[in-house]
Amino acid sequence: MDPRDIVLDKYSSKVYKNRKEHVITINEGEPNVIQADTRTVPGIMTNRGCCYAGCKGVVIGPLKDVATITHGPIGCGFYSWGTRRNKAKGDENTKAFGEYCLSTDMQETDIVFGGEKKLKQAIKEAVEIFHPECIAIASTCPVGLIGDDIHAIAAEAEELYGIKVLAFSCEGYKGVSQSGGHHIANNGLMKNVIGTGDAEPIKYSVNLLGEYNIGGDGWETERILKRIGYHVVSVMTGDGSYDAIKNSHTADLNLVQCHRSINYIAEMMKTKYGVDWMKINFIGPEATKKSLRDMARYFNDPELSRRTEAVIAEEEAAIAEGMASCKAVLAGKTAAIYVGGSRSHHYINLLKSLGVEVVLAGYEFGHRDDYEGREVLDTIKKDADSKNIESITVTKDPDHYKERLSEQELMALRAAGVPMEEYSGMWEDIMDGAIITDDYNHFETEEFLKYLKPDIFFSGIKDKFVIQRSGVASRQLHSYDYAGPYAGFKGALNFANDVAMAITVPVWDMVQAPWKKEPLLEGSLGGMESC
Amino acid sequence: MSKNLVNLNVNPCKMCMPMGTANAFYGIQKCMSILHGSQGCSTYIRRHMATHYNEPVDIASSSLTEEGTVYGGERNLIIGLENLIKLYDPEVIGVSTTCLAETIGEDVEMIIHHFYESHPDSNVKIIPVKSAGYGGTQFEGFIRALRAIVSHVDMATEKNNKINIITSMISPADTRYLKDLLDAFGLDYILLPDLSENLDGEHQKNYSRLPAHGTPISEIQQMAGARATIELSDTIKPEESPGVYLFENYDVPYLRLNLPIGLRDTDALIDMLSEISKMPIPESIAKQRGRYLDGMIDSHKYNAAGRIAVFGEPDFVVSAVRLCCENGVMPVIAATGSNCPELKAKIEKEIAKLAAILFVDDYVVLNDVDFETIEAEALRLGANIMLGNSDGRRIEEKHQIPLIRCAFPIHDRVGGQRVRTLGYEGSQMLLDQITNTLLKTVEGGFREELYNTYYNEGPKYKYGLEEDPHKKIRILGNETPAQTKSVMSTLSIEEKTANHPCFSCGASHKNARMHLPIAPKCNIQCNYCVRKFDCANESRPGVTTEILSPEAAFEKYKLVREKVPNLTVVGIAGPGDALANFEETKKALTLIHDDDPNVTFCVSTNGLMLPYHVKDLVRLNVSHVTVTVNAVDPEIGARIYKHVDFMGHRYHGIAAASLLLANQLSGIKMLIDEGIIVKINTVTLMGVNDAHIEEVVKAMKEMGCFISNIMPLIPVKGSAFETLTIATNQEINAIRKQCGLHLNQMYHCKQCRADAIGKLDSDVSLDFRSSKEPTVEPTVASPKGLRFAVASKGGMLVDQHFGHATEFYIYDFKNNEAQFLEKRQLNQYCLGVEECEEKEDKFTRILNHLKDCDGVIAMRIGDAPARRLEKKGIQVFSTYDRIEEAVKTAARKMIKSQNLKNVSGGI
Repeated sequence: MDPRDIVLDKYSSKVYKNRKEHVITINEGEPNVIQADTRTVPGIMTNRGCCYAGCKGVVIGPLKDVATITHGPIGCGFYSWGTRRNKAKGDENTKAFGEYCLSTDMQETDIVFGGEKKLKQAIKEAVEIFHPECIAIASTCPVGLIGDDIHAIAAEAEELYGIKVLAFSCEGYKGVSQSGGHHIANNGLMKNVIGTGDAEPIKYSVNLLGEYNIGGDGWETERILKRIGYHVVSVMTGDGSYDAIKNSHTADLNLVQCHRSINYIAEMMKTKYGVDWMKINFIGPEATKKSLRDMARYFNDPELSRRTEAVIAEEEAAIAEGMASCKAVLAGKTAAIYVGGSRSHHYINLLKSLGVEVVLAGYEFGHRDDYEGREVLDTIKKDADSKNIESITVTKDPDHYKERLSEQELMALRAAGVPMEEYSGMWEDIMDGAIITDDYNHFETEEFLKYLKPDIFFSGIKDKFVIQRSGVASRQLHSYDYAGPYAGFKGALNFANDVAMAITVPVWDMVQAPWKKEPLLEGSLGGMESC
Repeated sequence: MSKNLVNLNVNPCKMCMPMGTANAFYGIQKCMSILHGSQGCSTYIRRHMATHYNEPVDIASSSLTEEGTVYGGERNLIIGLENLIKLYDPEVIGVSTTCLAETIGEDVEMIIHHFYESHPDSNVKIIPVKSAGYGGTQFEGFIRALRAIVSHVDMATEKNNKINIITSMISPADTRYLKDLLDAFGLDYILLPDLSENLDGEHQKNYSRLPAHGTPISEIQQMAGARATIELSDTIKPEESPGVYLFENYDVPYLRLNLPIGLRDTDALIDMLSEISKMPIPESIAKQRGRYLDGMIDSHKYNAAGRIAVFGEPDFVVSAVRLCCENGVMPVIAATGSNCPELKAKIEKEIAKLAAILFVDDYVVLNDVDFETIEAEALRLGANIMLGNSDGRRIEEKHQIPLIRCAFPIHDRVGGQRVRTLGYEGSQMLLDQITNTLLKTVEGGFREELYNTYYNEGPKYKYGLEEDPHKKIRILGNETPAQTKSVMSTLSIEEKTANHPCFSCGASHKNARMHLPIAPKCNIQCNYCVRKFDCANESRPGVTTEILSPEAAFEKYKLVREKVPNLTVVGIAGPGDALANFEETKKALTLIHDDDPNVTFCVSTNGLMLPYHVKDLVRLNVSHVTVTVNAVDPEIGARIYKHVDFMGHRYHGIAAASLLLANQLSGIKMLIDEGIIVKINTVTLMGVNDAHIEEVVKAMKEMGCFISNIMPLIPVKGSAFETLTIATNQEINAIRKQCGLHLNQMYHCKQCRADAIGKLDSDVSLDFRSSKEPTVEPTVASPKGLRFAVASKGGMLVDQHFGHATEFYIYDFKNNEAQFLEKRQLNQYCLGVEECEEKEDKFTRILNHLKDCDGVIAMRIGDAPARRLEKKGIQVFSTYDRIEEAVKTAARKMIKSQNLKNVSGGI
């Protein structure tokens, strides 16, 4: 039996029925359909988080100049306080509240009598202490249930204080994972922030979407883009700001890093403002090179192309030696990779350039298009859970809509392999025979570890210690184990060094007591052979 | 009922109940936890526990979705239980509710009943706990889970010889200690819970996903028949206490003790164990005690320097504070994020006693508090060390107050599961950490200071290897100017001066400057400056939010350069003296010059070390230097400078002033000979040097200085001149006008902070320009003006909560200017929730103090006092700003509304 069947076999029939469509083996030449974005089986040790985590924790939280108030009991605010390592720094012109966790700290009485009064007071206090230009309110579970109207409070506060107040109804129980929260956050930014600024458009300007600046990834990416001569209008949302995102509609091109969490904004900005979007990937030198060249092709300026090549050559040369030594250590190793919604795919490329093959992969909360590519979008049926997440429709903005490239030009780019409004998902890079598990759980982690024996396992803090207990090196790809950046060229070298270190550290030779190892001497009693 | 006085929790010092229940269930053998609610709760809690314990943490979820909120979550919870049993085969399952389940009113007892009905063969013990996130903190959650365990397990009531030991959340390493201790007394005990192995396991070849260790249910069943229960936490509420439950239902004698941290609390436990076991204290334990006592003596001479802030769960705070007190480390803050009103009564006497011994006049015990308040109090009370969980790291980073990571959670270090605090040895480890942290603070800077004082800047002279610098100075003063103008960079000095906002008025509107706060030390003590703020040569006395290392300053410079395109000048203006920190100054300027040779460097100094560093400044391409010269007559200087530290000696009085003056004069001369542009700053001290300033300026003119900047005094709380009359703008301008006859005057000075960035007027409004440009603001109708009471800690910023203020700075707003009148002392209005009953009296007292004021300005103020003030016709303003700005803004608001009233009244 192949490992997939052995593992699934241990489930009860009900669970087996559910999980068999989420766990597949990639077969060459076949369409490889997977089930994703459906409800988690209760009681299984899922790695998924909730809607609040996706909205406040991932998308809204990193906005540095936004004072985000968690409306709810204390836990949720505390747990999402600085845990993702989305770095941000303020400057003279931008306030940074990243170090703060603001919560209405609801008590029993607030649940009984409603928390609206407390929220209003909390907004007042936040205005008085922080003088923010923008406040965001993120709801946790009880808020939707007791019926606090955070949207009315936001509107009232907006008028009262003359600042922007955003409200996100991202109660934890909505949707099936963090993914619903991303969508809610995207909608809120689209409706209330994007397009409200009046900056003048700048030549060669781009937005970096779905880059959360974990360990400084966004900074490293921006550095490369700036060297080439691009102007980054806004980053959504790592080290991003309300102030910058207001003007994001003035950019020429949207660069989509994390497809899962932010493709909604990319699509809506195309419809409303005519901003083209392109799937890029700045993880791994090869992917970074392709993305930079795709961008140069989009802008079609010889000087920009020349600088692109010059920067690539220089950056690549700087890491060549280091990459080669790491590759010497890592070549031939296998890896498992299991992160949120797009990252699992992004790192496959980088690992390949280090000679590491990914034998086991999956997403926590990806949708089918993140696995199979956007061409399956039309075939995805909407279920009750996805219908519960608001989906908004936007139309052309008569004042701000501007066609960037004509449809013909875009077609030509696509034909040349530039992924304009295209994303072909994880299947593009995963090797045949790899096992893919959607909404992976602890049980499957342990079981697949036993059968596939990867040399290193990339995932998060929750499964990290299970993996290490099994004698396998692990690296967290959610928060990078206090390291980073991993993006771009220099980041790739950081990653390579970290992985090489993880695998070669002497402890792996010691975790097994020597007397438990296979006998060092083998032999037989003299004279036995002759018998 | 919530007793939170504020509605916004800024940086919580607590977590929610299910965090506590999940921890507690990890101490039960073969037990799994499931949280009934959204799956995010489990994920977040697992994530935080895994980071702290560095162990796998498995907590299941019933994964409720929107559908479940409508139809109830029974189906999900039952499927969840089924799967958990199938995959993990546990003997016990703890079902903790969450905000969601409690809000929709799930009856978990009933659901479990249904589960047993539909699974008659199941022999898994399922224990429900009501643990809404809003019901309490992780501390209450932990205890509540223990109570649920003892009240749900089927008890065997036959008497046995066991002792029940119940603990709050202690580390696995401490739990192991406790077990060894109980074994040492030969006791037969039941420890509830026991997370010693499950959350700090050994490496094994095969990972077992079910926690194999911990207290078995079979043991817990015998708790009802035990000889006694000892609860090692004295802050558990009786209605939540498992020990009280066993006493009330099974008559098990109930005893409670503080967590055994520190000598006395460990003694109490050891004595009790000895009594119960009828066994003398084993020699090994007596030796541990002796060693700790010896250790307490070893470190006694260092501990009194400690001003510690202790925060965390209430029982930890009680015992840790007691450890600090018995070692003479002054707990200026004892704070818990939980709601434990008894905390104060438990420790205050002890703290007060130590405070009296150490002459500390202020400390606080804070209940139900967030880190914002702890931070503010730590700064107010001068805490120099913190003890608590790793969430204090933000205060540590921001204010360089070292944090000893202890208790739960620890997120930014490894080893949370191994932290030891219990018993004599645990106390010793904790005390050593405290003492060593204090020693590091002293010793770290001490050697450098010694080096700088006796080696770097002095020994040659001191040991007669070099000529007496005093003589040298006089000789230098008589030397003919050396014509050694150095070529510095591509920009001429004229261009640089024209672009320097502090030297050219035109440039002040266009060009930006950046002050690098890299120089914390000062070598003189001015009477208008407070040592703890360090010295002020110019600018707001030594105000900076952080001290940067030269490397960090360089990084900041690079960042600022990107964002502020008109940055032409980089200066070092303290917060101490640039030349008293010469190594830092040199390093920072070298880094920046290597990066961009066109930057204009500007250094500000009191001039004491100037003769020794002029050559260095030239080499570092410094083109502009500001020297603060307040007097050219040593007798006047003696009234201004308290002391001068030079070459390892402290000089006082006229000697100090003469020495400083001699060095200033020769230093300035050398600067001018080198072609460096010199600005002279002078602080106007009414009654001290105001009549003498013209003399100063004349003397400086003769030396060849470029511009003179005469500044008003900024009164600093606690300085010798804090009550000195302040020169009005008119008086200042009269002096400037007179002195302008001799030397160019700087009228546009903004008295910047030591870390100021930007154009001179970018963070200050119209004030100093009022003399040149007549104001367009409406002036007050009544000639009397407006009077404000300002809540401020240091007299510079509106940075205090009204309720925390023990003094108010009274400012008058007249002729469009904010003018300091006096400081009024009063007793603090709010000492915490416990004493709110007494508010009435105090508030009336405060009102009497403030009755002549038109407005009160504070960082924050409660609703009730705000209403009462307003009833008395005193307007209330909440802001965080510099006092003068705040007063002006408030006054303008009041005038505006008055004018409006007048207009409408007229119609």
